[in-house]
Amino acid sequence: MLTLLVLTPLLGAVVVSLVPARRRELHLPLGIALSVAPLGLAGAMFFSFDAGEASFQMVEKVVWWEPWGVSWQLGVDGISLGMVALTAILFPLSLAVSDSISHRRKAFVVAMLFLETGLIGTFLALDLLLFFVFFEVILVPMYLIIGVWGGKRRVYAAVKFFIYTAFGSALLLAAIIALAVMHASQAPDGLLSFDYLALLALDISPTAQMWLFGAFALAFAIKVPLFPFHTWLPDAHVEAPTAGSVLLAGVLLKLGTYGLLRFNLTLFPEATVSLVPVLAVLAVVGIIYGAVVAIVQPDLKKLVAYSSVSHLGFVVLGIFALTSAGLQGAVIQNVNHGLTTGALFLLVGMLYDRRHTKQISDFGGLATPAPLMAGFFLFMAFASIGLPGLNGFVGEFLVLVGSFPSLPGLTVVAAFGVVLAAIYMLWAYQRVFTGPLKGAENRKLTDLSAKETAVMAPLAALVLLLGLYPGILLERTAPSVEAILDRIEQYTDYEAPDPGRLADVFNTASEDES
Amino acid sequence: MIPEAFPEIAWSALAPELVLVFGAVALLLLDVQRKPGVRVLWGTSLAILAIALALGVWQWVVATPGAEPVFGGMLIFDRSAALARLVVLGVSLQAMVAARSLFAHLGNRAAEGLALVLLAAAGFILMAASQNLVMMFLGLEMGSIALYILAGIAGDGVRSDEAALKYLLLGAVASAVFIYGAALVFAGTGSLDLLRVAGFLARNLVLSPAVLLVGIGLLTAGLSFKVAAAPFHVWAPDVYQGAPAGIVGYMAAVAKVGGFAALARVLLSGFESFRPDWAPIVAGIAALSMVVGALMAIISSDIRRLLAYSGVAHAGFILTGLAAGAQGSSSVWFYLAVYTVQLVAAFSVVSALGGAVSSGSDLSDYRGLYRRSPFLALVLSVSLLGMAGLPLTTGFVAKLGVFLWAWRGDLEWLVVVAVVASAMAIYLYLRVIVIMYMQSPADDDPVLCDRPTSWALGAATAVTVVLGVFPQPLLKLVESAVYL
Repeated sequence: MLTLLVLTPLLGAVVVSLVPARRRELHLPLGIALSVAPLGLAGAMFFSFDAGEASFQMVEKVVWWEPWGVSWQLGVDGISLGMVALTAILFPLSLAVSDSISHRRKAFVVAMLFLETGLIGTFLALDLLLFFVFFEVILVPMYLIIGVWGGKRRVYAAVKFFIYTAFGSALLLAAIIALAVMHASQAPDGLLSFDYLALLALDISPTAQMWLFGAFALAFAIKVPLFPFHTWLPDAHVEAPTAGSVLLAGVLLKLGTYGLLRFNLTLFPEATVSLVPVLAVLAVVGIIYGAVVAIVQPDLKKLVAYSSVSHLGFVVLGIFALTSAGLQGAVIQNVNHGLTTGALFLLVGMLYDRRHTKQISDFGGLATPAPLMAGFFLFMAFASIGLPGLNGFVGEFLVLVGSFPSLPGLTVVAAFGVVLAAIYMLWAYQRVFTGPLKGAENRKLTDLSAKETAVMAPLAALVLLLGLYPGILLERTAPSVEAILDRIEQYTDYEAPDPGRLADVFNTASEDES
Repeated sequence: MIPEAFPEIAWSALAPELVLVFGAVALLLLDVQRKPGVRVLWGTSLAILAIALALGVWQWVVATPGAEPVFGGMLIFDRSAALARLVVLGVSLQAMVAARSLFAHLGNRAAEGLALVLLAAAGFILMAASQNLVMMFLGLEMGSIALYILAGIAGDGVRSDEAALKYLLLGAVASAVFIYGAALVFAGTGSLDLLRVAGFLARNLVLSPAVLLVGIGLLTAGLSFKVAAAPFHVWAPDVYQGAPAGIVGYMAAVAKVGGFAALARVLLSGFESFRPDWAPIVAGIAALSMVVGALMAIISSDIRRLLAYSGVAHAGFILTGLAAGAQGSSSVWFYLAVYTVQLVAAFSVVSALGGAVSSGSDLSDYRGLYRRSPFLALVLSVSLLGMAGLPLTTGFVAKLGVFLWAWRGDLEWLVVVAVVASAMAIYLYLRVIVIMYMQSPADDDPVLCDRPTSWALGAATAVTVVLGVFPQPLLKLVESAVYL
């Protein structure tokens, strides 16, 4: 089923590319319809997922080239589950708001579907080389989406995006090869292997762990992006079309945090424990820096982009807190941020489609002509700030609760990020939607259409659902997160501080386990 | 001294080369006797290449992995030589199918040009199959002299003449270096036969290896010139830029195959026991080539110079596989096979766009190529992405193979240099793609290419993508061509 899930969008891309270019009215609806298929499959996967199971489920393996130990191997666990579901949800929605793509629309839809295959594949791949292939391949459609359908400085932004990430992944490839060769020298059969599960059994010396951790972490830190590797992000976001921004913030950045969680923590536990200070400090610098820079942005889209730097800092902090609450918070905050920031980018895009400007100073009092839009924006802003009852609260609260025992000082600093978030988000809302209604164009602004409301509504519903009943995700992720922590404790002399186990905090899934 | 018996000649093992050589003679005679049109001559040469290729496939099937030397030990058609032959003939066919317009331009010199193409192919195949350094030299010269002439065959200006003369002069120096190296090897071991050299080195302990080391160094330098590895690469950009566009891809591809095959045979078959001595040198050349090639390509404003410098970088990647030793040679073969296809395809696009005999190819001519010819833009993009080593193209599998073997061969530092160089290289290929897809063209005239060219380009693109996703057949093929 997972293979089908990965390949359905690709199949969709082929179908769309077979539709003649002159039938332009067909491409977008067809693309949306075809991206609903993977959503259905992802839903089926989500609900057939066995919540009590820590290891990979629905594993599929086909050997690709035996002598190199490479195989097409897919599987899902609690860490990847939410991300795959998020990806599948965001694609139909972001295609649905892509009416404003006026030229080469067919190529756009094909690139989007191709991107979806790459993203889902990255989250599901259990073979490191396969992971790398997906990780690298998504650069091409994303590069095209920014570079062909982007704003004025699109080429610059697209090239910058590509170069940054390509450099990051170059060393990742070297590190992956190093692991495979290490397997050949350690395994009794003496064969190369890129199988993640087989590589977990390697005995890696502490020095080698540091190097390999560094190579993996660099690639993922650029993707996250962790301060100081974040400079490509604002450019890419501002120039990308709405759909591109939504997916960039919603899913692409999560590849970085997902990679840290999936590979760095499990493959290099000793290096993880000794490098916690470095990464946690970078994360907190990112939280504060992103938030402060966001406050002063005159451009609404850039503001949301910098808020991503801040929010993803929370995710990274949660990961390197190395407590189960922190890890849980990171996993769920990954999904939350995708939903809320995705929704905010959608709203900014809708605003831009109407007014052709993103400058905050051009707006004012928009709540009068467009109450629905203002309502959704405020709702998502609250979610992003972490208002209790909405999803952002769950994630940030868990991260802070989880990181306080292990990193108290940094957690205190990080908590200010929440305050700053309230400042930049609410201030932006105030300047855009409240106050006196300025300018004739703002007065003529139309509110959300039925279709746009239909795009926003499911996101709002999910935000509320995850805010009120986070257990639907947490109980599925808990066993996998505990397994990561167990592994770190087993291979190092690290012990997760109290309250270490999430079961004590939220009392969810692990009841029947213990 | 008269040999007791004339050495037995395995004619069948040589069948493809005989077809090429006699085919070249026949082409010239046909031209003199009948004065047929260019199309007939061109078609005949394609038929000759196709027959040679078919015979090559047949030889591949019947050739035994541990083949005996033929021609009294001059040549050996083992798996690696048979594979080199397939690659040379394959890319020659690819290049010639796309080169009809070039020969149409050459007019009454077309037959000579076609005959030289066939002879060059034969020369480099013989070079790849040489067991003896003298034979290797003969093959090298047979191929190179043909290429010197081809570089200047258009004869339409200073650029072309400059290219031909530069290639000839520097090539002659490289040949001299090679033959001097061969002489020193003879002085050190008493033989020019690589198997005997290896046997001698296995039986004897060389107490003062200085002569041999210099010999190996000179052989490596001479062959590095042929494959355009830094620092022996300075001729490449000028020659690639000046020679007729329709033939450059062919020239570069066959010279690289012949050169690397010879280098592999010298180092891996003859001097495997000296690997600790030559591996650092080869690794150094590889690292220098990758970095210099990528950097110089980034600042090139002419697509042919860009491809020339990127070729230098690719020579570095291939040498990385070679430095890894005998096991790594499978990755060398894979790399050569897929890179030459991309190289020839890229130059076919250059030729289709700028004219087959022209010598100008500024990058600005490629602005908005997407609008003028979506097909050519796509072909060039796929070739460039393949060279960049992006996943889902053959280039990625090739690089992966090289990196894997080099890491296994304890050349970790070289792999790190290589991955960084390939990241830099991504930028340079991307630059061309940006120009083609994201800038507006100077004029909207559509670019047309003749039908055979589009077949050749379509096939090359399909090969690059399909073998990039499912490379298993080719991987199996090259695994069996490892020097043991």
